[in-house]
Amino acid sequence: MLDQLKETIKKALPELDFVMGWGMGFDALHATPLFMYEPEDVDKLVWGPLNIQNLATYLPSLKGKKVGIVVKGCDSRSVAELLQEKLVNRDEVVIFGMACQGTVNLTKVREIVGNTGLVEDVKYENGKLTVTADGQPHEMLLKDVRADKCGYCRFPNAVISDHFVGEERAPQVEEDTFEDLKEFESQSFEERRDFWMKEMDRCLRCYACRNACPLCVCRDHCVAQSRDPHWVSQQDGIRDKFMFQIIHATHMAGRCTNCGECERACPVDIPVLLLKRSFNRAVKNTFAYDAGLDAGATPPLLAFKVNEDNIKEKEW
Amino acid sequence: MPVLEGRELRIVGFLCNWCSYGGADTAGVARFEQPTDLRVIRVPCSGRIDPLFVAKAFMNGADGVLVSGCHPRDCHYAEGNFYARRRLEVFKNVISVLGIEPERFEYTWVSASEGQRWQEVVTKFTKQVHALGPMVSVPEVSLDRLAALEPAQS
Amino acid sequence: MAKYLKQDDLGSWLKELGKTYKVIAPVEEGDAVIFRPLTDERTLRIDRQATQGPKGVLFPACEELVSFKYGKDPEKPEKVTVDIQETVDAEPTLIFGSRPCDARGFDVFDNAFTKCSVKDSYYMARREQAVVVSLACTKTETTCFCNWVGGAPDGKGGSDVLLTPITGGYLVESVTDKGAALLDSPLLSEATGEHTAEAEKLLAAARESLREAPDFKCVPEQLYNLFDNMDFWEKQAAKCLSCGACTYLCPTCHCFNITDEQQGNQGSRIRSWDNCMSRLFTEEASGHNPRPTKAHRLKNRVGHKFCYFPDMHEGHIACVGCGRCIKSCPVALDIREVVTAAKECRLPEEETADD
Repeated sequence: MLDQLKETIKKALPELDFVMGWGMGFDALHATPLFMYEPEDVDKLVWGPLNIQNLATYLPSLKGKKVGIVVKGCDSRSVAELLQEKLVNRDEVVIFGMACQGTVNLTKVREIVGNTGLVEDVKYENGKLTVTADGQPHEMLLKDVRADKCGYCRFPNAVISDHFVGEERAPQVEEDTFEDLKEFESQSFEERRDFWMKEMDRCLRCYACRNACPLCVCRDHCVAQSRDPHWVSQQDGIRDKFMFQIIHATHMAGRCTNCGECERACPVDIPVLLLKRSFNRAVKNTFAYDAGLDAGATPPLLAFKVNEDNIKEKEW
Repeated sequence: MPVLEGRELRIVGFLCNWCSYGGADTAGVARFEQPTDLRVIRVPCSGRIDPLFVAKAFMNGADGVLVSGCHPRDCHYAEGNFYARRRLEVFKNVISVLGIEPERFEYTWVSASEGQRWQEVVTKFTKQVHALGPMVSVPEVSLDRLAALEPAQS
Repeated sequence: MAKYLKQDDLGSWLKELGKTYKVIAPVEEGDAVIFRPLTDERTLRIDRQATQGPKGVLFPACEELVSFKYGKDPEKPEKVTVDIQETVDAEPTLIFGSRPCDARGFDVFDNAFTKCSVKDSYYMARREQAVVVSLACTKTETTCFCNWVGGAPDGKGGSDVLLTPITGGYLVESVTDKGAALLDSPLLSEATGEHTAEAEKLLAAARESLREAPDFKCVPEQLYNLFDNMDFWEKQAAKCLSCGACTYLCPTCHCFNITDEQQGNQGSRIRSWDNCMSRLFTEEASGHNPRPTKAHRLKNRVGHKFCYFPDMHEGHIACVGCGRCIKSCPVALDIREVVTAAKECRLPEEETADD
């Protein structure tokens, strides 16, 4: 299947500046974005549960170039959302899709393996991952170490593509029921606050969450670094760090496609996706809308209805 | 020490210039008795209110936030409050995940002539926030720094 | 002279040291391991490299330099007074469980903050009161490359005491006089020849396990040559997200920003970490930015570590090879690859000459 994908890319490559996919990184466990300029670069392409990065993040900065992009289901939603917001031109991007089997959460692998810095070899076959570290093979089911987002994935196949290679895969679930949020909300308000205080305390303010997010498109002009308006200060206290996460999540309202890059990119494993999920749920419940499915739709917060379906007018 | 120390909470009100601010003015001119916890910030239109204003108010120690604009279909700028309604509704659904009780935040519509309604809204909301009491503030410093500062304060 | 500390006595030793020093050690927090003041509620984690090193102990992510308060002279209302208080915040601190690479990072800080004509009194006050107790590495990770930049799994630079984990405990060696004072504890016994032999065997194996170090002698020159070759840098930086994870996790990155944070009549002047991967780092008031793209910024990051800093500080490379920038990079960008590519990149002139 991978060979077929490589062939398809090679065929399209002459028309394109380059194609983005994944190659092997510094060890067998870490894939890294691969920029394919020449046909021989395409031979380095890999596909599997280690392809964790969402390459759509690069697209807005590549306007004016004609590029190809290999996508998983969730990545394709980011592309659709970018198209929808006209941050990417449809005629400047060629999308290669393949059915996704789910991706690995490296933190979960670390919990099993101990130290992922000692990994020597990784094999993936039939839903089973074998990670050899420090001479010891560790077997694990992908199901047990995959990213949380894959557990409630409804779109394993690209929702938008020019070339779809191989067979489509059945989704994990029909509907995302936000079980993770329900579990979080079984706590008292005080516990929730304490949770965020503790988590935010170790935030480095490195902004990996922001820069890895395919829809955080202000990038270099982010309000987090603006002195006027002065939304957040340069202090390293919890208040400013938390405020930044609220800003990020709020700016994603009705746009977040749940790719989870913010949380994955965090070097200190702060579960920031939860905040975006709560916005996603609110948008879904209020407007019956999912971001990144229809490049022609209008995002709900850029529109209104004179008589809203799910908002009570005179509750207060 | 102010006489209301300990009895008054910090409630921030964002009111649109054309309806709700006028409504609050009407209530004042008519000398309707109101709780004094609310601090009013006047904005041109409820459509100007970024939900992050609300978030920032909470981060900076507000115990409650009230937003009030023109009634739907009666906005001075025709559709500002329609956009506001969507944003504020979504935001209201989210703040519980931040650890903020949803009752601490309400948005409503009061017209310039509704002095009576303004009085009711403020009274009801203030009571609602008082039932929850003051909010635990988000520390301005790191937890270790906070722990180091605490013994010095007590 | 080496000593031996039993594994079971480690806790008691740290408690004992805790009487004199504020002990800061790698502890588990969420899924990460970071340096925090050691308390009873926290779990010490020294079995793997900490997610973030201890650099923040001596060079905090944010520190108040001065606090200020504006006032009015009641006699002359038009006159504004400013009351300024300098904040010096240093206490005897013991950093426990840093790795030799982390400790070498302090050497780089010393070069930048205390050995220049302008001395940084804030850093110096903390450095003088700090003792560094490092833990030698008997295992190396895939991202480790301390041997490429002059370090070793048992390197002593920057440390005051070096511990080597051996069967049942640690071999404890003092590196400086400051460190020797810590070894007086009755909990430590004289190390036997067996202890030292075992430690040496483990460390030799660790050194052996590292990839062979390439020769970096020509790297500074190559980096100068490549300075205007933006094609090269654009390819190298293609996957970079231009976030600051690498710089904030780096034991040697020491750039900062100074801002006034004011509320009402009072405020403070703070110094906080800044990073060259951010656009604002070099943006000028006119709006001009000499490093407008991520390629320019990556060029600076690599150039500063392997070329400009060594030029200013007697060849001292500003990289300790801890590998955090590789390991924690969201897109697994490998600085080793960039430096190697720079080293091996044939310049256009050479090519034509050869042809």
